[in-house]
This record gives sequence, C-alpha cells and structure tokens, in this order.
Amino acid sequence: MKKTSPLKFENHFPLSQEDLLKILNLSLSQGGDFSEIFLEYKTYNFINMEEDIIKETAESISLGLGIRVLSGEKTGYGYTNDISLEKVRKAALTAASIASTPGDRNASSLTPSSFPHNYYPVRESLHKAPLENKISLVQECYLSAQNLDPKIKKVKVSFIDLTQHVRIVNSEGLDISDVRPLVKLVCLAIAEKTSKREAGYSGGGGRVGLEYFTQSLSPEKIGQDAAHEALELLEAEWPPAGEMPVILAPGHSGVLIHEAVGHLLEADFNRKKTSIFWNKMGKKVADSQVSIYDDPTIPHFRGSYNIDDEGILPKKVLLIHQGKLTGLLQDRLSARLMKKSCTGHGRRQDYTNIPIPRMSNTYVDKGEYTPEEIIKSVKKGFYAHKYQGGQVEDSGKFTFSVSSGYLIEDGKLTSPVKQATLIGTNIDILNKIEMIGSDLQFGLQTGTCGKEGQSMPVNDGCPTLKITRMTVGGQS
Amino acid sequence: MKDKSQVKIFKLAEDLVNFGKNQGADEIEVSILDGYEFSVDVRFGKIENLVEAGSRALGMRVIKDKRTAFSSSSDLSRNTLEHLVKNAIKRAALASPDEFSGLPSPSSRHTDIPSLSLFDPTISKLSSKKKNALAIETERIALDDKRITNSHGASFETKEIKTVFANSNGFLQEYDQTVCGLSLGLQAGDTDNRVEDYWFSMKRHYKELESPEEVAKKAVERTIRQINPKKIKTQKVPVIFEPMMTSWLMGFLFSCVSGISIYQKTSFLVDKLGEKIGNNSVDVIDDGLLPGMLGSRPFDAEGVPCKKTPVIEDGILKNYLCNTYAARKLKLKSTGNSAGTGVNPNNFYLKAGDIPPDRIISSLDRGLILIRTIGHGLNPVTGDISRGAFGLWVEKGEIAYPVSEITISGNLGEILNNIEVIGNDLDFQSPISGPTIRIQELTVAGK
Repeated sequence: MKKTSPLKFENHFPLSQEDLLKILNLSLSQGGDFSEIFLEYKTYNFINMEEDIIKETAESISLGLGIRVLSGEKTGYGYTNDISLEKVRKAALTAASIASTPGDRNASSLTPSSFPHNYYPVRESLHKAPLENKISLVQECYLSAQNLDPKIKKVKVSFIDLTQHVRIVNSEGLDISDVRPLVKLVCLAIAEKTSKREAGYSGGGGRVGLEYFTQSLSPEKIGQDAAHEALELLEAEWPPAGEMPVILAPGHSGVLIHEAVGHLLEADFNRKKTSIFWNKMGKKVADSQVSIYDDPTIPHFRGSYNIDDEGILPKKVLLIHQGKLTGLLQDRLSARLMKKSCTGHGRRQDYTNIPIPRMSNTYVDKGEYTPEEIIKSVKKGFYAHKYQGGQVEDSGKFTFSVSSGYLIEDGKLTSPVKQATLIGTNIDILNKIEMIGSDLQFGLQTGTCGKEGQSMPVNDGCPTLKITRMTVGGQS
Repeated sequence: MKDKSQVKIFKLAEDLVNFGKNQGADEIEVSILDGYEFSVDVRFGKIENLVEAGSRALGMRVIKDKRTAFSSSSDLSRNTLEHLVKNAIKRAALASPDEFSGLPSPSSRHTDIPSLSLFDPTISKLSSKKKNALAIETERIALDDKRITNSHGASFETKEIKTVFANSNGFLQEYDQTVCGLSLGLQAGDTDNRVEDYWFSMKRHYKELESPEEVAKKAVERTIRQINPKKIKTQKVPVIFEPMMTSWLMGFLFSCVSGISIYQKTSFLVDKLGEKIGNNSVDVIDDGLLPGMLGSRPFDAEGVPCKKTPVIEDGILKNYLCNTYAARKLKLKSTGNSAGTGVNPNNFYLKAGDIPPDRIISSLDRGLILIRTIGHGLNPVTGDISRGAFGLWVEKGEIAYPVSEITISGNLGEILNNIEVIGNDLDFQSPISGPTIRIQELTVAGK
C-alpha cells in the first residue's frame, strides 16, 4: 500500500470543491457581494550558525484558511487553523456578518484555472534538499567571513527556506493555486580593533533553488562581503551634518524609492486621500528623467509571484513615466472602489490577514550617465552606499538610515562614513534628482517590507542617482 | 473560558512531552497558545474591516545529546505533531553539541497567577455593537475638530490568549490573559502640507482603557501641534523626550542589555556589569510581576518564573536580562526573560522622578521637545543613534513652533550620562516605558 506523507497540501484541507462552494455561499448569506477563501499551507526550515557551531535547526508548519466577504467598502474576515467543517463554517459566518441585508445570492460554480508562466523555475528544490546540504552552505558562508581577517571576531549565519502553497477560490468561480519557494542566506560579521566594534551584513536568495548558490551568488561571497563591510566600518568616520549634494549608490538605494515613493502609490492610501499623491495622477511629480516601475514578474526575484494573494495574474506597472505620475498598485477592493483595473498587487502575509495593495519588485529605470560622471560632478557631498532601513509617512516625509557610505571630495569617493540619516519629503527629492546612471542594479534578495503589521518579501533597485541637495544627519 | 477543547490542549502538551521522551529525546518542552482575536477598523463613521477568529499555535524544543532542534506548527493534529517530534529528534543529531544548551533546572519559586491580574472576564462579554461603537465614537469626536482634515481611522481590538506550557522536568502550567486597545490616526493640513499622528490606549482590563474622548483628544492634540513646521539649522541643543520617546530609547537600551547581545558581543555594554554607565538618577528595572501591566507574566517562554530585576541602579549596570542559554554562557542566572531563542522585556522601564513634565519644559531656555522619530538608525554595537525626527522648538520655556525634517544623533552611553531631569509621568502604556526626560545635549541636524 502506498503511504502518503502526512505533510501534503491536499491532505490538510479535507474540503471538496463542493464543500468550498457551500462555504462561499454561506459567506454571502448576509448579503455580501463577494466572498473568497484563501487556503494556505506553509512550511519552512531554519538553520542558525554562530560561535563556530550549528546552534540549532527549526522546522515550522503553518496551516489555515481565511474567509473574506466584501460588502461595498466593508470587509469581513474570519480565519481558522482548525479545518473542521464546523470551524470553517463559523469563520464563514463571521465574515458574512459584515453585510446586513440577507439575500439568496449564490457563488458561481468553481472552475479550476492555471497560468502559462512560472516566475520561479527551480532546478533543484532547496526545500527537498537534505538538511546536511543546507548546513554545508551555512558553514561555507561562515568560514569565508571568519577567515577573511583576524579582526573578524564574531560571525552569525542563518539560512531559511520556505515553501508556501496557496489556493484561492472565490464567488466569481475562480479556483487557482500556486507554490512559492523562498530562500534566504544571510551573514552578520563583527570586526574589532582597539575597543572599536562594527557590524557588516550581507545576504542573498530569492525564489530560487540550490543552483543559485553555485551559479549566481556563492555562500563564500556573501560571507566575504559581510566581513569586508565590517572591516571598512572600523575605519569609518561620522558623516557631515546638514544639507548637501547626495549620491545614492545603485542597487541598495532602491529601498529609498520603495519607501519614499512606492508606498504612497499603493492604491489604498490614494483611495483614502491620505497619500500626498492622491490628487496628482497625470501630473509632474519628479524630474523628467525619472521613470519608476513595480514588476512582480521578474524571474526568481524575492518580490515576484505567479498570482497575487487574491488569485489575480500580476502586471508590471509603470508608476512614474518621465516624471509624470501614471500608475497605482491596485488590489481588488481599491480597484473596484476607484473603478480602475486590478494590477495584481493584493498581497497578504498569511491566512490570518486581509490582502492589501503591496509592492513587489520596485525600481527606478536606468538613465544616461555613467556612475563616474555622476560622482565627478560633486565637489563636496555624501555618497550613501548601504542602508539599515527606512520609513515614510503618508505626507511624504521620509527617513533612511545609512549604515555605510563615503564622503565625496573633489569628485572622488574618499573616507568611509558610518551611521548617517537621510531625511526629506518625497516630491521635493524626486524633483531634485539631477542625474541618473546607466547602471541599474538590484539590492540583496533579503528585503522584507512591513505595512499594517504584515511582512512581505520584496526587492527593489535603482541606478546611481544624484540628488542636488538633501539633509544628512550625523554627529559632527 | 474553559470548555472541553481547552482541557484537551492541556492534555496534548503533556502527551507530547511524554511522546518525545519515549522517542528518545533527553529533554523536551512544549508550549501551546490558544488565542481569540477581534478587531474593528472604522473610517469616516463606517466599518472598514471586521476580523474575528480563533487560532492555535504550538512550539517545541527537543534536546538530545546536548544538541537542539526547534519546531512549530499551527496544525495541531496528533499525526502532524508526532511527525514533528520524531523529525526534531532526527534533526537534533545534525546540530552541534553545545554544553550550554538544555532546559532550565526546576525552580523553587512559584508565581501566584491570580495576583498578576492578567485576565479580564468582561472583555469577552462586550457586544459587537459596543465594540464597533467605541471605534466609531472615538473617530467622530476627533473629526468634530475642523482642523483635522483626514483620518486614518479608529480601531478597537481585543485579544484573549491561553498559554499552556509543559516540559520534561515536570513543569505543567497554564494562564489566561486579555488585552484590549483603542487607537486613532489623524491628518491635519492640506494635501501638500500634511502632518499626521496617532494615539492609542492599550490595557489588560477594559475598565482601565482610556475613553473615546481621551483617545480622540490626545490624537487631535498630537496632530495639530505639528501644523506649519519649520526647518532649523544644524546645532547641539538640550532635548526633552516625551514618554513615548523615552520608551523608544528604553527599547534600544533593552536590546543592549539583552544577555544574547552580551554573549554575542553585539552590545556596547559588554563587560560593563558593576560599572557606572549612567548618572546617579538613572534607575532601570525589569519587572514581570506588576499586577495588571502589559509586560507581566507568571513565567517566561521556557517556564522560568518571572521576577523583578534591577538593570541599572543609581547609574550602575546591575544585571543583563537573560534566558537560560544566555545566562549559562555568561555564568549568570536566568532573569525570566526568555522568548524562546531570544529574550523579551517583561515591564522594562526607567523609574520616574518627581518633576512634572510641564515644569521640565518651562525650565528649558532653548531646545527641542522630541515628539516622534522615524526610520531605523540604532546601532547596539556602538550605542550610536541617528534617526529622522519631529519636534517642538522651545524658546524661554515656551513652545514656539513645530519642527520637521530634522535628524537627531547621539550615543546611548552618552545619553545615559546626560539625563539631567526625569519626569513624574511614567504611565506603563506599553511593556517598555519611561517618563519625560531632558538630555543635556544632542546633535539636531537640519538645514
């Protein structure tokens, strides 16, 4: 007799298509105009190495479903991780209660559908790989950081591989599924020299297989990059403080665009008119060299997906075209209320959360200057290289923490600088983008974005960018 | 709250521990959370989102031959859980042996759970109508103020959580807790000159929650005081931290006194135990046993009873906050701060002084009141701070105008030595808290 593993997706949801349809109908029983069931089964493995040992491994299983009912602008939501018909019905009734005019509206019968693309073709699944092989990746990364220089006193490497199975069915008859792999290998290295102690960080991954670590980015390289950064920061100075020309390094600086521009182009903030952009569609909001995209379809990228968490096929969106505001990131609810088409940007952290408009992979398109030309144009300024993170308010005011950068003196990068803060207001800074490089790059494939308590994997990128003037915070 | 299924999870925890021992684990611990949550978001008087759900999660740690493996699951079927236990025992063999690993030894201390007052039975009895009305009313009061131009909405939420914990040293206990919260976010000014802020109240007991009037009033006041901000020049000035800002600073301090960052040497406070790290007036305490407070709990995530731990006393660093593992690494004792592999604050706070906050402001000739920060910019390895900030400029003891697009920078070690005045307004609004304080000097970068 063939023995099935207890950890298969289908086995966890003992609900037939007929059951699902009944639940969708039950969800509409109070008069809702749309209902949906999001079924999720997620597993992950985690390895942690520090102090020269594999300290622990972890395995996690998350299983559950969420039922959503829309009624006009209102959303009702119930979820459960007890997949008994009784509990699922209870979640359906909870979601249904958002509507208040009982009727006999019925869901359309479910038609399983698929899609022609796969944005994460994986040759050798890391999820299926033996734990021993993954431990080797971690050890290679660890040793390469540790052995780079005797000043490296501490290394920490962690690895995580995750597989998320989702199935989305809704009252419009949709029945669609996806399996999303996600991998991350990160290294933290600490260097010490005469009572000074600095940390460097690097990492990689994405929606990739084991082959990524031999073909795209080796664990050794990740370890070395982290160690190099820590060593360089030992020599770093405090940044200058005040307003000055700022050059944003390619790749890593994408986080600035993500925070300062991307979030405020998520449709919900515009529908609610809390975003500074809500009344600026078609208007000039940036220098005419600037074009910005959000693209969930880039193969293997951390922020990519075959379908969004509402089961919609995602589209590449041109957010800003040559300085003019042209697009918003739409989920189903905002698109419907704003009478726009959905762009497939409705994402959710897991089955316990309502989908909301989110970014995927956001980037500034390349320009015409070489990075050398751009640096040469600055007599005295600041070059922001890597970031700890950033935050923006709906008003457009933002802050970025620069973990490493350089002084620019007479058109050259000179002393390394640590721990600076960049602040500004988005439209002001977008208009002060003076030069855009031809060197579009993307950040480390390790980014996670938070919004309303939900964390999502994202990526972002940009070419070298010169900002005419920007406020730099430091300690001098 | 006790029904058949809850007796079942108590038994499940116990059974899994026995199953693990029978399968060959040297030590095993199992924790189960059984939670129920409700939340309603309201905007412009209408319900936007209504969420109601119950869910469970289980976590376990298995140790064999001093090698550790963790598992967690939201699928609580016996099949899945027994599979996870077996797999964890197998995986443990692939980790390295670690002499510091293992469960805490049994403690003779025992917390009297009812005395902590963590559970409010009235919360589950609130009607949906009442809960929705709280959010609607809070926002309505705020919107009556014509200076408010947009709303992020108001929310009311409740949580009821049962925690069951069992381990192979014979520990088997459970406790119930509740939390309820009311919050409101607002904007003022026109689209191109928006300012925004929020206020919230969060308590374990419904009767202690701030009223819709109080929450609305504070959210309005916090928002409108920022209208028409000015930029200021880069300079070094005295800075007053409002309680929320002191809490933020204490949060950074917590990460620097965590036993984990100490043994990992990622804190500037490594090897500083017994040394003077702040001025005489600085007392910082972690206390898991304050009745009714948000950070209180009878025992931590590995079953160690919580207690009161002096962290800084008269400016002297007295204790690092440790789970069992960090404590063994540092040859110290667990302080009951375990959060699994990490550490959590219980109620971690800067002790109040006796000066009223308005007097701290009126005695300031020239400087900044820090009201919000955004961004990251905290480096525990060095104690360095660099954050985007919003503030109120003070001239001759009076608030002159709001300030934006500034950054503040400094160093936590220096700040602890430069706390000049400590206010009397400690409110335990969150597990990490502190009163108004005045810092002698910080760099404020602007134009």
